Amino acid sequence: MLAKVKVASAWLDACGGCHMSFLDLDEALIDLANAIELTATPITDIKEFSPVDVGIIEGAVSNEHDEQVVKDLRANCKILMAWGDCACFGGIASMRNLFDTEEVLHRYYSTESTAKDSKIPSSEDIPPLTKVRPINEVVKVDCYVPGCPPSPKAIHYALAELLEGRIPVVPSEIMRFD
Amino acid sequence: MNEITLTINDRQVKGKAGDTVLEICQANGIDVPTLCHLGGLSDVGACRMCVVEIEKERRPVPACTYPARDGLVVQTNTERLERYRRQILELIFTEHNHFCMFCEASGDCELQKLAYRYQMDNVRYPYTFPSLAVDSLSDYLVIDHNRCILCGRCIRACSELAASHTLDFSQRGWKALVTADLEQPLGESSCLLCGACVQSCPTGAIFGKLNLYKGKKDECQQIHTVCPVCGVGCELNVLVKDNNLVRIEAPGLAEPRGPLCRMGRFELLRETRPRVTSPLVRGEQGKLEECSLNRAVEVIAGRLAGAKDGFAGMVSTRIPSETLSLFHKFIGEVIGSDSIDTLDGASYRIITEGIRQFQGNGRGLDIECPIEDILEADCIIVVGADPGKTNPIVCTLVRRAVSQKKAKLIVIDPSRDVFPLWTDLWLKPRAGSEGDLLNGLAKILIDKGLVEPGSAELIKSFKQYGIGEVVRSTGIERERLELMAEMYGRAEHGVIIYGEGLLQTNDASAITTILNLANMTGNQVGDKLRVISLKPRANSRGAWELGLAKGMKQDKPKGLYLLLADEPQSEELLTQLRGIDFLVVQASYHSLVTAMADVVLPSPIWAEREGKYVTMDGRVLELKQVLQPKDGLPQDQEVLRAISQKLGRKST
Repeated sequence: MLAKVKVASAWLDACGGCHMSFLDLDEALIDLANAIELTATPITDIKEFSPVDVGIIEGAVSNEHDEQVVKDLRANCKILMAWGDCACFGGIASMRNLFDTEEVLHRYYSTESTAKDSKIPSSEDIPPLTKVRPINEVVKVDCYVPGCPPSPKAIHYALAELLEGRIPVVPSEIMRFD
Repeated sequence: MNEITLTINDRQVKGKAGDTVLEICQANGIDVPTLCHLGGLSDVGACRMCVVEIEKERRPVPACTYPARDGLVVQTNTERLERYRRQILELIFTEHNHFCMFCEASGDCELQKLAYRYQMDNVRYPYTFPSLAVDSLSDYLVIDHNRCILCGRCIRACSELAASHTLDFSQRGWKALVTADLEQPLGESSCLLCGACVQSCPTGAIFGKLNLYKGKKDECQQIHTVCPVCGVGCELNVLVKDNNLVRIEAPGLAEPRGPLCRMGRFELLRETRPRVTSPLVRGEQGKLEECSLNRAVEVIAGRLAGAKDGFAGMVSTRIPSETLSLFHKFIGEVIGSDSIDTLDGASYRIITEGIRQFQGNGRGLDIECPIEDILEADCIIVVGADPGKTNPIVCTLVRRAVSQKKAKLIVIDPSRDVFPLWTDLWLKPRAGSEGDLLNGLAKILIDKGLVEPGSAELIKSFKQYGIGEVVRSTGIERERLELMAEMYGRAEHGVIIYGEGLLQTNDASAITTILNLANMTGNQVGDKLRVISLKPRANSRGAWELGLAKGMKQDKPKGLYLLLADEPQSEELLTQLRGIDFLVVQASYHSLVTAMADVVLPSPIWAEREGKYVTMDGRVLELKQVLQPKDGLPQDQEVLRAISQKLGRKST
């Protein structure tokens, strides 16, 4: 039996829907488990990356911590794949760019309809927000699976292509942005 | 036709001189992606998606604006072109907010479809994230500038098809925005709410409020039917999902009746009146109480037995011909009365009397020209009519003639200029003196020699007619009457449109004068005169032709069977109904009319019925059933048959 392909993934500024969609592969996961090994992922809850074949990112880069994670994973993987509209284009996460950061924090933490009278948290452990960017504005990305979330079909297609040794480009018929 | 031959993708194809390269590609089944192009609108080459390579041109050119020539050698899908097209898409995506997941248009969006086609799974340029306004103050429309790709299709539809020219660009370059008038909110602008912009928008930048998130096109059933509102008879494409109306579009946006109007495109979706869901009869306490159809029929049968002449029938002309015929029979044979009228029967009687006086024979409404004739006009007289209110597409055609053919527009109306900003001459006669004014016009035309030689008899009849009299009775100066005569008399193609306002004067001779005017100035097309009377309802003409507009024998019949269907209530109707002893109303919605009734019966709405409509210019169109009747309510025919059976007579 061939050695399993090692895969790590990260979940940045996003809802988690892309990883959910991955889990929605259902019975296809069983076959996949014979071919790949999940190392550091939100699913295994391991956060330290070690060298892998494929790195996967869900979500946009939204603060300094995200940027570190992306660079770290890029350094540890041979092929980097972006999952979902946030990672590919900025997506919903990037709608924050339409407002200034102060305005967003104020809206989130201290308006009537959200959290009246609470404070905007501040600590040196909380990384400051930056402009929201798709992954390819920060590091080189090798392949993309757009969708909000990507359909299990599209994710499966991309992984299957990688296992066949090809860089996947999601075909028009199964590509979706919504 | 001058035929030319081109080589496209190494294939010989034919076209005609004057075609663009894009037109020839499309006619020959050669696929070229487009975005700012929309059939029926002028082409501007804004988006650059349709770029093609043409031998001897230094760089790719947009096919939509490139005039085809004999011998051109064209390539439409080289690797370089495909690369450029994808790049253009990427640039469009970075410019505004084109994230699909919460967009109304997702699934129906042309930009999205192109991005899929070019497998645009990432964008290589930074996004600009401008924060742009969303204008949602209009009754039916929303403009979200964030979704706009500045293709200008809405602007061209607004000016070329709807001839409103409310929309245009403001600002320049990357700051450019589609704007209404001088940067007004759409709801406060000159927008007429026809919705041509909605149908022409390739993305989710302009959309209808009433169909918001109700369904995507391919989830809907699409039914080609006809608008049930006015007599114009615009064809509609009704989108239905789960027995609900989703939206209404024109099957052919670029057709003369294609822009549609607020009534056909939006108001049909906005129904808020409570539905009549069960038969009701007035109980002992004088209140309307729900009952079975059988019980309602018994009450009606009891009152009808032997009623005969004291009874009358009245019917809305929104109802298709088949049901009208049945109703005619029902009143005649079952109830045994020949007192029958339609809600707009009085108008019909004046129009036909006017036509009869003109020619003395029975060609009737066939003497009028089709409304498309307005498009070719170089002079239009609108007398006693408000087409913007009653038949908005007529209004659209008039504006098109004025803006595209430089037609002169004359409005004759005692109270207001019905085409403000569009009118060349507004004559404001004293109320009721419109007929005198038209006679005055005829007299001046004769005096100036602006009439056809064949009108000797008519000329004679005007010999003694004095213009001074006309000036006195209408209150309009002679110079203005002469100005109007010059405009109409010297026109090549003059159209006269009249409507409700003139009909209310109850003066059939004014209509005869209109026909005489058209006749003596040679404003004829085939055997038709360039005269158009506005019919208020979808099947007004059908009902008239079927003989339902005879008129009632008494002003106040003892009993009245009113088949109202989904017709809105009017003050006029309420007045007419007051003082009638026994009133049966068969209606789709509760209203003050049903509140007056002794028996209320349910009736389907337009979307639940089918049958033929005769449009105001005599075309026969098919109203299709698009919805299943609510709660299995009966069709009008079933109700009428149930009563007939109870009365022991057969009505078919």
